[in-house]
Amino acid sequence: MTVLLRRIRPEQFREFILLAVTIGLLLFFAAQIPNYFDPRSVNRLTTGLAITLVVAVGQVLVVLTRNIDLSVSSIVGLAAYMTGTLLTRDTTLSPFAAVLIAMAIGLTLGVVNGLIVAYGGVPAIIATLGTLALYRVILVEFSGAKTVTTADLPDWLNDVPSATIVTIAEYDLRLMVGVALVVVVLGLLILRYLPFGRRLYAIGSNPEAARNAGLPVKRDVFTAFVISGALSGLAGFMFLVRFGNITVTAAQGLELQVVAAVVVGGVAIFGGSGSMIGALLGVLLIEILQQSLLRWAGISEFVKDAILGLLILVAVTADTIILGRLREMWARVRRRDRAARQALTADEGGLAHGA
Amino acid sequence: MARELWRRLLGWEGLLLVLLLAVLGFNITRVPNFLTVANQINLFQLGIEKAIVVLVMTFVIISGEIDLSVASMMGLSAATAAALFESGAPMLLAIIVALGVGAGFGLINGYFVAIVGLSSLAVTLAGYVGFRGLARLLVQDRSVGGFPEWFTRLGQQGLIGPLTLSIIIFAMLAIVATVVLHFSGFGRLTYVIGNSAQVARYSGVSVARTKLIIFTASGFISALAGVLMAARLGAVRASTAEGFELDIITVVLLGGVSIFGGVGSMAGVLLSTYLVLNLRNGLVIAGVTGNTQTGIIGLLLILSVLVPNLAGRVRERLRRRQPDPSLRGPPQEAADPARSQTAPG
Amino acid sequence: MNVKTRRWMTGVACAGLLAANMVPAVLAQTPVSGEAVTAEPGQEVKMMLLPKFLGILPFDQANQGAEEAAAELGNPTPLDFVGPTAENSVAGQIEFVTNAPAGEYDVIMLSNNSGDQIVPAAVAAQEAGIPVVTWDSPIPTGEGESLFVAQVDFDETGQVMAEMARSILGEDGGQFAILSASPDAANQNAWIAAMETALEDPAFENLELLEIVYGDDQSEKSYEQALALISKHPDMELIMAPTSVGIVAAAQALQNEGLCEEIKVSGLGVPAEMLEYTQNGCAPEFALWSFVDLGYLTYYVSYLLATGAIEGVEGERFVAGRLGEYEITKDPTRPDVDALRVLMGPFTVYNIDNVEEAAG
Repeated sequence: MTVLLRRIRPEQFREFILLAVTIGLLLFFAAQIPNYFDPRSVNRLTTGLAITLVVAVGQVLVVLTRNIDLSVSSIVGLAAYMTGTLLTRDTTLSPFAAVLIAMAIGLTLGVVNGLIVAYGGVPAIIATLGTLALYRVILVEFSGAKTVTTADLPDWLNDVPSATIVTIAEYDLRLMVGVALVVVVLGLLILRYLPFGRRLYAIGSNPEAARNAGLPVKRDVFTAFVISGALSGLAGFMFLVRFGNITVTAAQGLELQVVAAVVVGGVAIFGGSGSMIGALLGVLLIEILQQSLLRWAGISEFVKDAILGLLILVAVTADTIILGRLREMWARVRRRDRAARQALTADEGGLAHGA
Repeated sequence: MARELWRRLLGWEGLLLVLLLAVLGFNITRVPNFLTVANQINLFQLGIEKAIVVLVMTFVIISGEIDLSVASMMGLSAATAAALFESGAPMLLAIIVALGVGAGFGLINGYFVAIVGLSSLAVTLAGYVGFRGLARLLVQDRSVGGFPEWFTRLGQQGLIGPLTLSIIIFAMLAIVATVVLHFSGFGRLTYVIGNSAQVARYSGVSVARTKLIIFTASGFISALAGVLMAARLGAVRASTAEGFELDIITVVLLGGVSIFGGVGSMAGVLLSTYLVLNLRNGLVIAGVTGNTQTGIIGLLLILSVLVPNLAGRVRERLRRRQPDPSLRGPPQEAADPARSQTAPG
Repeated sequence: MNVKTRRWMTGVACAGLLAANMVPAVLAQTPVSGEAVTAEPGQEVKMMLLPKFLGILPFDQANQGAEEAAAELGNPTPLDFVGPTAENSVAGQIEFVTNAPAGEYDVIMLSNNSGDQIVPAAVAAQEAGIPVVTWDSPIPTGEGESLFVAQVDFDETGQVMAEMARSILGEDGGQFAILSASPDAANQNAWIAAMETALEDPAFENLELLEIVYGDDQSEKSYEQALALISKHPDMELIMAPTSVGIVAAAQALQNEGLCEEIKVSGLGVPAEMLEYTQNGCAPEFALWSFVDLGYLTYYVSYLLATGAIEGVEGERFVAGRLGEYEITKDPTRPDVDALRVLMGPFTVYNIDNVEEAAG
């Protein structure tokens, strides 16, 4: 144990814990629900994850900077609706162009968010609570209460949801899931290797210090919102593809879903700590919980939300308590190590070691 | 004292007052029966449960926390009272149990936040989902009504003149909340905790106790609001008060309370409550749809922070030497004397 | 065309001639039997059309119908088509009804989504002299409601749904599940109850209802619920969705999963939205009434009521423009309460033969 503690930081343990909890849940539901790991079920479940995952990646970037983007659900809805409308008017539009248009719509809305928050100095929760409502109003006004229906959409759109990149023993990797995975990997790479990504952590853990150190705080926060917007736009396109019929209520409530996943994943909303992996595991956990509860024949339709709430609380509590214990142990081991090292260096009468 | 008043008028509360006057002016000229007693009562009645919860939410947010579970708690308490009544319990007992449920779950929220040390966002998110689930479990797909006449009469008709019980309770709670927040040690502690939880750790026990009390109160008051809503509507469904949490938080933030805690005043919150009630009333009567109403309030929320921020920046640039902080925007700007106002004395 | 009841009739022969804003109750006229009342055009009536929420096709169609009637009747006051947001539907509707007297409306046309929680507000509106005409979805207890313009007979809805299920599953029957709107939706609940009653008939003994799930009239949630049903019940052959949002979401889910051969979708849907699924066999048969006509008829009734041309009592007959003659009767689908109804009808069952034409 102490060997492990020497090598790994507590935050990384959190990811293991989340993974363990997720696997535990999967096993539990597998025991309760017949054919749980049946290829068809698994394919459906993974496809269901894709949209939330894409939105969550953008959200993590924003949340890391101590901000939050509550407007994502309205952006997803608006991008889905507008792209859908364009496609019904011009069915010759290429798939590639359609994706770009959806992302551009999201990006534009993200720019508005970013300007208000980063350059207008409005706290993100206020700004995006406002744009959450405003973007939805734009959607309602724009739509004139019409629905985008699959019948009017070009035929290629219908093939996208079941389009599969590769199938291994009947387990599909669907195109939508593939797209989500690419976004996830890009997100991870940005955070790990790009200076921009590293700066996001710095800004989140101490905005004041980051500013004093001359980091372009405003620009980075702005960029995070723009990326979140663009990814929500992409999610909007996926939404259009998957559900086909877009009403003005499209994606309503998705913001809480995403925030819940991010919070469960251990990203501190006002603390600026946490990891992309943790957040993505959070998405996985929440989605699996929800989808499995839907499929669990053993319980009544009316108990499900109560159970979901309880499970969220249990997951968060277990996570925090275990993490707290580990932190203490970690600190103790470190202290002991340092003491040992200091004793050692004192003996050798020389070189100072950094902790 | 006069100077203090002047400062406030130039600050956040002043801005709200101007907005309020503008909306009032609009309503009086545009809406035929706006100033009638009946309409003013209506205006309050329609949002009274939210207004009541806004009072306690102010404490929650000033202490640097958040409670997303309030609306679900309103639904749960209404459902508890309804389910008990349906199964033959006397209404009064049903109400008492419902209030107890509110206080109990509030205490549990508080326990996880203050003692276990979880983020209030996570804890109350679980409550947001879970309490609504319990409400659903209790009344399922039914609509429970047929409450005793005294109960619905209390919810719908004037008790003192045209003033309904809910309005009287709101008025009393508003006074209590103002006194506690601004003129008591508890209120002072709330600000200190919100300003910097770390600094306030000097006395961990009192920090934990304060938060515990605030969350318990939040649960209890939400439950009370839920019961009052059941009385006003005369029937309870599992979806009662669904989605109210965002409205409630919006009003508190519009009142100038910083989402990061430690900043805000009851005067601002009361002004913003009345402002939003008026705005909605005027817009509904003018035949504006629900979406646009929400959009206008959202826009107002953004502009109310953005405009003073930008104006402040321009002013600052114009006369760099003598920065006048009184026109700066809210949150973040803890240096603003009008807003960093902790409890006097 | 739809006057079913052949009981004694009390018509009111006060064809128009009455100023707007007059409280109907004041105008106790001597009943003259026989004559159906026709509307006097051109009167000023401020009318509010209040759907459950804004932004879905059926309500938009109802508004079209109402506007058509408004143009025909030459009402100089424009119709207010207002509504809450979907997530704030209940509280929003109560808000609109409560504020109607202050807004000086003469009549409210309400598709009630608030169950009995709307009652105090509706009663207050009535006391202020504003008739509340419900359409699409009534106030369950009938309190505060002048009358209900029923799209179809709610018992018939259950029967039609059972018949569609049998026609799709065949004589040997099979398993099916219901995907409804929200658990609080009064009309869906009434239709499902009616269908359960209809299923007791030996004619439907081979149909097995597995369970009822709720998609809250949200596409995403309905879609996930449909997928969950498929996973839960391997032998299920049909999803019956008595909601225009749920039926499309379920059909789309089946289409995306390539399951339309094994599992079918049916229920209540809008032809324009269902066209593709009927053509590709996912939803071979579904039913609906005309929401345009419903809005049209509702406007006519409400106009007549607000101008005092009819009083809104049992047995009155009136002419609703192009739709012809109707009669106000007791609502037999709410036998426990004292409620009135105007029955529109009929059901149109759509399939591959007629869906394209209806989709327009």
